[in-house]
Formats: sequence, C-alpha cells, structure tokens
Amino acid sequence: MATVVLKNVKKIYPGSTEPAVHDFNLSIADKEFIVFVGPSGCGKSTTLRMVAGLEDISEGTVEIDGEVVNDLQPKDRGISMVFQNYALYPHLTVYENMAFPLRLLRNPKMSNDEIYERVTNAAKILGITQYLTRKPKNLSGGQRQRVAIGRAMVRDSKVFLMDEPLSNLDAKLRNQMRAEIILLRQRIQTTFIYVTHDQTEAMTLGDRIVIMKDGFIMQVGSPTEVFDRPGNLFVAEFIGAPKMNTFMAKLVKDEKDYHVECFGEKIPVTGEKARELSEKGIGTQTIVLGIRPEHMVFSEEPKPGYIPVEVVVNEMMGSEVHLHVTTPEVPEGAYDTLTEAEARSRDFADEQLLLPGGKKELIIRIQTINLTDKQRAEFVPGKKLYLSAESRVMHFFNYQKGKLKTNLLYGPGAEAEASLAN
Amino acid sequence: MANNENPNRDLTPMENLERGKEKRGMGIKTRRRISNTIAYVVLILISIIWIAPFVFLIFQSLEVSSTGWSAHVIPKAWGFDNYIYLFSAEANFNRWYFNTFVIALFSCIGQTLMQIMMAYVLSRFRFKLRKPLMNFMLILGMFPGFLTMIILYNVLKDLGLTQANAVPGLILVSIASSGMGYYVIKGFFDTVSKSLDEAALIDGATRGQVFVKVILPLTKPIVIYTILTAFMAPWGDFIFASYIAFGSSQGYNVAVGLYQWLTVEQLPYHYTHFCSGGVVVSVPVITLFLMLQRYYVEGVTGGAVKG
Repeated sequence: MATVVLKNVKKIYPGSTEPAVHDFNLSIADKEFIVFVGPSGCGKSTTLRMVAGLEDISEGTVEIDGEVVNDLQPKDRGISMVFQNYALYPHLTVYENMAFPLRLLRNPKMSNDEIYERVTNAAKILGITQYLTRKPKNLSGGQRQRVAIGRAMVRDSKVFLMDEPLSNLDAKLRNQMRAEIILLRQRIQTTFIYVTHDQTEAMTLGDRIVIMKDGFIMQVGSPTEVFDRPGNLFVAEFIGAPKMNTFMAKLVKDEKDYHVECFGEKIPVTGEKARELSEKGIGTQTIVLGIRPEHMVFSEEPKPGYIPVEVVVNEMMGSEVHLHVTTPEVPEGAYDTLTEAEARSRDFADEQLLLPGGKKELIIRIQTINLTDKQRAEFVPGKKLYLSAESRVMHFFNYQKGKLKTNLLYGPGAEAEASLAN
Repeated sequence: MANNENPNRDLTPMENLERGKEKRGMGIKTRRRISNTIAYVVLILISIIWIAPFVFLIFQSLEVSSTGWSAHVIPKAWGFDNYIYLFSAEANFNRWYFNTFVIALFSCIGQTLMQIMMAYVLSRFRFKLRKPLMNFMLILGMFPGFLTMIILYNVLKDLGLTQANAVPGLILVSIASSGMGYYVIKGFFDTVSKSLDEAALIDGATRGQVFVKVILPLTKPIVIYTILTAFMAPWGDFIFASYIAFGSSQGYNVAVGLYQWLTVEQLPYHYTHFCSGGVVVSVPVITLFLMLQRYYVEGVTGGAVKG
C-alpha cells in the first residue's frame, strides 16, 4: 500500500549550474508500475536515486505513502532496489545475500526460522533454490540478477525500485527476464518504479511511461497513449523501433478536407483526421509530418499522392523487411533554413536533422509474408518505389524553429508544456 | 619415389616441420637448463648470505662456554643458559619484552582502527576540502618521522610520558599520526564498487554496518596487512623508543634494552645474552608472519587489480 508523489523535485549537482532534473511532478498510484525512460543523461536514474535516498533532493518534496521522506535515510523509506550491476555481496552466499536485509531488521528482530522461510520462498519463486549455497561469482548474469531481485523481494517494502536491471544481460536473456518481471509483478503486489533506456522494456512493462529528456518530462501516459498520441516530436521518435519517419511538410486546408504537400506530392488528409483538424480550427501551415515505418504503403507504379523514392538498403529481418529509401531533393527555399550560427547551436539540434536541403532517408517496414517472391528479389538498392500513407496514421507536429515540436492535435503533456515555458 | 634418391631435393612441408621441431625443441631444452642452473646458483648464493646471520645468531645464543664475544661460529659447549639468564630476575629482559608487547599490541589496534576508518571516510564520503586534506597529509607523510623528535619529546615530557612512563607515550606517538597512512588502504577500498554501499544502505544497514559487514570482509587482505605492519613497526622501533625512554630501564623496549648489552663496557659479559634475546624477539614476528603471509602477499599486490 504505497503511493509515491514527487512535487517540483529538482536536482542540481554540486559544481553545476544547470539542473540535472527540472521541476519533476508525478503522482504514482498504489501498486502501479511506472517506467522512467529516456536517452542517457536525461535524469531518469537521478530521479530514481532521489526517491531511494541515494541522492540529495535539491528542491521539492518526495512523499512515500503520504509521508515526506526528503530527510529520511534510505533504510527508513521502506523501499528496496535492484541495481544495474546487481550489487551482490561477493563474500556472502546467495542465501546470505538474500537474508542480509532481514538480518538487519530490528524491533522486532526476525527469527532464523522466519528468515529461512522467506529466503527459500523467494528463491522458489525465482527458481534459484539450487544455487543458495553458491557465491555470486559462480553464477551467470541472469542468475545474479534473480538473486538481486530476490534480495529486494524478501522484505515487504512499500516501493520496488529497479535501475536498468536488464541492461547487463544479453538480448535473449533480457527478453526472458522481462517476461519474468511481468509475472513477478503479478505475484508481489507493490508499487514499482523502473528505469530503462530501452523503449521496448518501457512499452511492455509499464502501466504508465514517463518519457524524459534533458531533465524534463516529455510525456506521461500509458503505452498505447504514448504510441498512438505522442505529445511531441521527441516522444514520437523515441517510442517505436525503427523510429518514426519525420520530415518537413505543408499542411493545406481545402474547402472540406486537408492535404499535406511534401517532396512535391500532395497526399490527401480525409475522414476522422480531417474532422479532428478542422474541429481544432487548424489552418494552412508548415508542419513536421510523422509516419511510422510500418504504416507506410508502397506502390511499384507512380500514382498521385505517392512520393517517388529509391531503395538504398534492404534489411531482411526474417518476419519483416526494413527498406531504407531516399526521397527526392527538397526544393531550395521550401522551408525556413538555419542560419550558420543556428546550424551549429545545440538548441536547433532537431532542425538540423529535419531541415537540411538534399535528400532525406526514410525507413519502411513490410511484413515479409505480404511480399511476392519476385518483389523480394527486386527490392534491392536502386529500385524505384512510390510511398504514401493513410491519413489515420499521420502525426502532425507544430513547427516553430528552435522550439519543442508539439503534436497539433493532442498537444504536449502538461509537463512538457511547463518545460516549454522555460 | 624418385625424390628419395636426390640429396638436394626440396623438403616436403611435413619434413620441414619435423626437422624444425627437432631443432627448436633441443634448443629450448638446453637453453632452459642453462638459465635454470644460473638462476639456482645465484639464488642459493643470495639465500646463504641472507640466512647466515640468523644461523650465526642461533648458534651463538646456544654457546655456554663464555658469555662474551667469541671468534668461533659453532659453539664449544651447547646449552640453554643464555635463555635462562634472559628470563631470570637478574636481567631486565622480561620488562622490556612486556613493554614492547604492550606497545605493539595497542599501537596495532589503534593504528589499524585509525587507518581503516580514515581510508573509508576518504574513499566514500564527499566533503569540503577533502582533496586538499588528502594532499596535505600525503605531503606531511613524506617527511621522516624523526624530524618531529625534539618537539614530541618536549610535549611528552610535559605530559609526564617519558622515561619510566615511556610505554603510553610511545603508544600515543604511534597512534596519533597513523591516520596519514590511509593511502594504500584507500586505494584498496576504492576498488570496491560504491553500489555495494548503496545496496547495503537500502537493505537497512547503517554506515557503520556497511563498513563492518560489507567493506571489511571484502578488503580483508589489506586490513591484515595493516595489522601486520602496525604490529611490526613498534616491535623493531629504536629511535623513538630510545630517546623517549632514555635513561630509564623500566621504559625500554627490547631493541633499546638489548642494545645496552652491545656497548663497549657490556659486550664482554652479555654478548651471548644479546644473541638469545634476538632469537626470542623474532619468535612472535615470525609466527605472526607465517600465519598471515597469504594475506600479506595479497595485501601488498591486491590493491592494484580491480576485484
């Protein structure tokens, strides 16, 4: 039974003026599985460590179960934690590693029988009973991670913190452990905060995902929400693999519907999407258009509304094929260009990828089963294709130079809006 | 085969290999034998030079024909008279031995505690002026200890800890500045991942428990190394012990006490006593060393490798 509430939490490391975490506001419900995800250096681990009590909180408050814990020692916060590098005690056996937190309990002291009971129970759940007498160095990576989880499990902690627990494992083991964490979560009903840089982990594990960048929250939402309705361009590109294709385009309002103009082609926007746009009163403007690789449709013959592209790389993934294609050149002066100073500035990093003249690379993802044998043989570098997309899979982002590109329809999350104000 | 008759024929690759093997194999064997022989001869010579004084000392301590200086190595008459004299009330040796043991024991406990705690704090805590403090202590530690002799003597004298009271005085001196020897131990502690500390803190340990239950067991070699060096240093200490205790036989340690027997006036009467004293003094150190030598080697070299 524990909620976790972070209010205006801020972290400024000593010797630095720029905060590592800006005003962080989040309310985590009891028994919720929250995932912090973002590229390295986005402040996700720092935030977790502030909840754990391993880092001082520069400003703001952290509440666990309604109690402000800013000045409490980690041991008094009722938390347990799993570390990326497992942090097992090398001089103790697996049994003693897992019994360690229980042996430290005072008032009341736990009896040896109960410790035995709990440790063997946890070991049974994690399938490590036969390793209890071994030292950590004689275990494989996956087994060590299980021991680390077991050590965190034996205590009835209010909040379970996990700091990139799977990133030291190889890909196959990682998938297996991910599934086990989902099962574990159903067994031990408690509040989870999970940190990862892997969007797949975030999508599969989280009830809600917190996407962070440069110390700001970009969006908070369920996996479906952040995938279908990304609040801004960063979230759109971060969630989903391979990443969403994004390029500059012009959204034009016709009498009834809309269309987008890009690479000299006009792709109609109709139906539900057009209705939503017109309800929001959106007129003709320059936008960033986003289409996921799996949502692109292709034709081998030129058609109106289809962008002519050329295949440069064909990646056969087994069940699907990833085609890297280049678009025609963007006409000179079609969109704003960056001044020389802007082109070098970090503030315009987003534009540097979107704007430069010349060709742009897109990726399309096709199910192998949907291709004929002839097509599979023909889709080699140099092959001409024609791409388009249905309007319901299009994402429209506001374009303002040097600003966060928010979703025209769904807007930014409240938190991202706050970061915009900065 | 026609090839077989031609003596100048090219060798087949297989034959080439065989021939090469023979040639190289012989060469390596002979060379290794020669270099081994040289190494053994040199090592045996060195160990004779090294062991000779000890053998000599033991022989002399068993010489009972005279207690003075003798020109022969093998005793004329064997016996334990010198040892009996050593522990009799006549000689002050018991007192010196006891003094040394007390000094070594307390310095050892005190120094070890000071050093490992200092090293832990400097390794794990971040506080203002930490770096300048570490550098300052490192530079101070580079000056030889006896530079402070005069001022230390005066301070101890004012405290009444000289001469007959030299034992607590010496303990105080050796413990007081020992924290400065943190350096090697800190290096060892630094190799233990900080996330172990963090894991233990979250598991409910206090800082003290982290230190005792996690860090110390993992750094046992360096702790034992510290105990050994802290015990041995006062055991053989001469300079400090001689001037702090000066003139009072009650305050001597073994090194200073035994040295009294080597003065020109005493030498003819106490030479063999000195030798037996030397043997007795080395017993605890050798015992301790043999018991802990495994850790000693690890402790000296272990800090360099990340474990």
